Amino acid sequence: MAEKKDVVVVGGGPNGLVAACYLAKAGLKTVVLERRPVVGGIAVTEEFAKGFRVSSILHTAGPFLPSIARDLALDRHGLSTIETEARVFAPALEGPSITLHADARKTAAGIERVSPHDAKGYLAFHESLGRLGRLLAPFLTMTPPSIDEPSMGEMWQLLGVGRKFRALPKKDAFRLLRWGPMAVADLVSEFFETELLRAAIAARGIYGVFAGPWSAGTSLGVLIGAALEPNAAGSATFVRGGMGALTQALLAAARALGVEVRTGAEVARLATRDGAAVGAVLKTGEEVLGRAVVSNADPKRTLLGLVDPVDLDPGFVQKVRNYRALGSIAKVHLALDGLPQFPAAKNGASGALAGRIHIGPDIDYLERAFDAAKYGHFSESPYCDVTIPTLTDPSLAPSGKHVMSVVAQFAPTKLKDGDWKSKKEALGDAVVGTLERYAPGLTGMVKHRQVLTPLDLEETYGLTGGQVFHGEPALDQVFTMRPLLGWAQYRTPVRGLYLCGSGTHPGGGVTGAPGANAAREIAKDLRARA
Amino acid sequence: MSAKYDVVVIGGGHNGLIHAAYLAKAGKKVLVLERRHVLGGAAVTEEVFPGFKFSVCSYVVSLLRPEIIRDLDLPRHGLEILPLDGTFTPMLNGDYLWRVNDHGKTRREIARHSKLDADAYDEYGKAMADMGRFVKPILGMTPPDPTKLQWKGLQDLLFLGRRFQNLSAEDQYNQVQLMTMSAVDFLDQWFETDVLKATMSASGIIGTFLGVRSPGTAYVLLHHYMGEIDGAFRSWGFARGGTGAISNAIGDAAREAGVEIRTQAPIAKIKLSNGRATGVVLENGDEVEASVVSSSVDPRLTFMKMIGEKELPEDFVEDIRRYKFRGSSGKVNLALDALPEFRSIPGPGAHLRGAISISPAVEYMERAYDDAKYGRFSRRPYIDMVIPTLTDPSLAPPGKHVMSCFVQYAPYKLKDSDWDKEKENFGDTVIDTIAEHAPNIKSIIKHRQVVTPLDLEREWGLSEGNIFQGELTLEQLFFLRPAPGWAQYRTPIRNLYMCGSATHPGGGIMGANGKNAAEKVLADWKR
Repeated sequence: MAEKKDVVVVGGGPNGLVAACYLAKAGLKTVVLERRPVVGGIAVTEEFAKGFRVSSILHTAGPFLPSIARDLALDRHGLSTIETEARVFAPALEGPSITLHADARKTAAGIERVSPHDAKGYLAFHESLGRLGRLLAPFLTMTPPSIDEPSMGEMWQLLGVGRKFRALPKKDAFRLLRWGPMAVADLVSEFFETELLRAAIAARGIYGVFAGPWSAGTSLGVLIGAALEPNAAGSATFVRGGMGALTQALLAAARALGVEVRTGAEVARLATRDGAAVGAVLKTGEEVLGRAVVSNADPKRTLLGLVDPVDLDPGFVQKVRNYRALGSIAKVHLALDGLPQFPAAKNGASGALAGRIHIGPDIDYLERAFDAAKYGHFSESPYCDVTIPTLTDPSLAPSGKHVMSVVAQFAPTKLKDGDWKSKKEALGDAVVGTLERYAPGLTGMVKHRQVLTPLDLEETYGLTGGQVFHGEPALDQVFTMRPLLGWAQYRTPVRGLYLCGSGTHPGGGVTGAPGANAAREIAKDLRARA
Repeated sequence: MSAKYDVVVIGGGHNGLIHAAYLAKAGKKVLVLERRHVLGGAAVTEEVFPGFKFSVCSYVVSLLRPEIIRDLDLPRHGLEILPLDGTFTPMLNGDYLWRVNDHGKTRREIARHSKLDADAYDEYGKAMADMGRFVKPILGMTPPDPTKLQWKGLQDLLFLGRRFQNLSAEDQYNQVQLMTMSAVDFLDQWFETDVLKATMSASGIIGTFLGVRSPGTAYVLLHHYMGEIDGAFRSWGFARGGTGAISNAIGDAAREAGVEIRTQAPIAKIKLSNGRATGVVLENGDEVEASVVSSSVDPRLTFMKMIGEKELPEDFVEDIRRYKFRGSSGKVNLALDALPEFRSIPGPGAHLRGAISISPAVEYMERAYDDAKYGRFSRRPYIDMVIPTLTDPSLAPPGKHVMSCFVQYAPYKLKDSDWDKEKENFGDTVIDTIAEHAPNIKSIIKHRQVVTPLDLEREWGLSEGNIFQGELTLEQLFFLRPAPGWAQYRTPIRNLYMCGSATHPGGGIMGANGKNAAEKVLADWKR
């Protein structure tokens, strides 16, 4: 029989691995159990056609928190990230296209040609968002305070933020309060008049969520994004070798810290004794025991799937059921014979295409794309976030060939007519057809195509509903309410069971923050119990 | 030389009149100036067609604060509220949902659709009543300014925080959801019957440019649960004599307290001297001097029209320009020869005495919103109808009826057309929609009045036709209403106050705005 561990980590996604590393650093004996043959969860690089590799789900990082990369010396373990200079390229079918650069002044200079008003607006937005982002950044690494009995430490932390809040220019202070609940379409119209620019910025608020730009609360996504990267353009953080290289570096770091990592080890259920979690039972029947269990799986999968319902209060179970995790993303991967030509990008292969390519000409287009999903259809004209990772990392394809990775929205979890098995290729056609308009000739370059529907994301990658962030980052499901009010401190009603995935604060997008925060709480509890 | 008043109130709507009455009761010399020939603003009764009287705009009452009814002794001034019993929702398949105030009956009716929902309905009612009790004290409160918390503001926030902490875990959870979720998402957690959810969600969208699936609409569900008539929670009613009777009662109370009221007195501008308001100039050139000016009209009219941008701080102008009106509803008022016959419950009956809601399915509601989003009025709108003559026959000649239809969505801004062109088409769409449920409607209409958002703006002075003087969305509530930093009824112009629906706690015939603002004026007076 294997030695008894301190902590059993269920799921080897980025957050599970980060948590394992920090737990090991705290001196706790830790084992990670991963269902798939590879670790990485949502951040994996896989070969989808012979010789062509791609980041299977999210194709850019959140960005990953630099403090965590430093703590775990990930560069030493092979992590190399690429920040492109052109972050977002928004091609137009007619009229001028827009490029958002890392350098806001350069962006503004480009926008100046389209609208001087918007050039000024962009800088104002960039600066204001930057100030708010810097104010919010400390929240990312904070355990959300308890609502009922905030501890002294929590009060101090909040007081610190409160002081910074009061130091903000009054206008920004009110913006922070106003923007949270606002529709992102309203937010962008406060600064910009050009539809394409409005749409390119507004897209940040709807990426990965089941909401259109006119849905209230979508500005929140922009604010959370600003906490991670206080640039109006958002981030375009690629990982050399694809997103899987990030989790491979985490794996190496974990092993170096003494963490045992097992792949092909599917957890069937939680092992409990007297209502407390004491380990995990594998599908094979094997028990892996520990003093605590932390689940990297999403809250629904963990609390409705792994926990025996008798160990939970029915009211709590009801709340978990009502936790909203709705699919909105489909993923399309194209193996290409050559580099697609976007007439809107003047110099073809130049820098503009290296970041993220935004397909969505105006707010109404994005909203209509969402309308389809509301009624149970995928969008025939989807909003797409496209990357050509081979432009920055040629190792992903045979020489001279390219990979195109497309996040396409919207694709609902459940279709009203038919099912995903029969509609899968139709979705692929809609995506390629949409892109063909922006890059004529693309269809002829496609050697191979892979389509991942929300159903694939659920079945293959274990994401409930195909929701890539482990639950909607809506106003009622963030911070002290993620995943549920009263249960935002990584603990669960089952003693000894913790959550560390994107379904906990500060949410999804491969940042590593939930894992690091959860590890801190678990280590605290285990020290107290020791 | 005109007389000098302590306070001149712009607009004789219910809030302006309540504001004036409280000030006069405190000994101030007050003048109310109303642009139209009748008092009441959007709370009016007008004889639109000979013998037929309509609550032209606002048509039911629920939220009027009980302390205001008491303080102003409104029943003595003729206010009588008649109960509005139940909501009848005809469905397209010939079935219906009919909820009434009798708890047992409603339970049996809901159980006919779903046993689970019948149980959940009780729980839901209890939870909402709790939430209503939690939120109510906030209505009577002047919102603190979170960016410059003085001791009082901090106390207010702490008070809210403690009240929240004292809620049970269950209620905390509900409260957070109510503040943030969509009406349908919220209701989905309780119920499975589509028509029940559709009808209930309707109260979440009234007067807003949002769909039943838009986050933030759950809050408005609560807004409608806070109504209280004679101490009974959640009850709706008509005023005998139409909604205008409420305004008239308040007007009488105000006059008795010494308020002078002038109608047909449109105001051209607010007089300023050294950045202070000193009175108003009427459109006929008359000037009225006053120590304080209180405006019950919306901020766009108050600041952009009656003051002018260049007299105001730049940031404030930007905030007022950004303040969202986006009217989304219209009214169709019908004079009827007979009662409508519904396919699902033929003949006359008690189902006609309450609200009749055309909200047959959640998807129906959402599609109605989609039309509006892209700049058209709904092809099949949500309609809330009442036939007040069944309770108050005085509103029409014997044997005849009036029917009031509140219609959503009718977006103020139409794409590729305008309301002058679309007005009657809109009316036809409404009648066609009703005819799907009550086929005899077309043959019993004697007269029809269509009120578009543009009419609401032109005739009733509601910018962009918003019935709440600005949307009730989270970013325009509490300390953000109507503008960040100016939620305490004061304005950047000294001695100028706001007391209408565009201030906390928002629209509806509630009166809290006028009363809260009066308290602010009086408190400042002492300093």
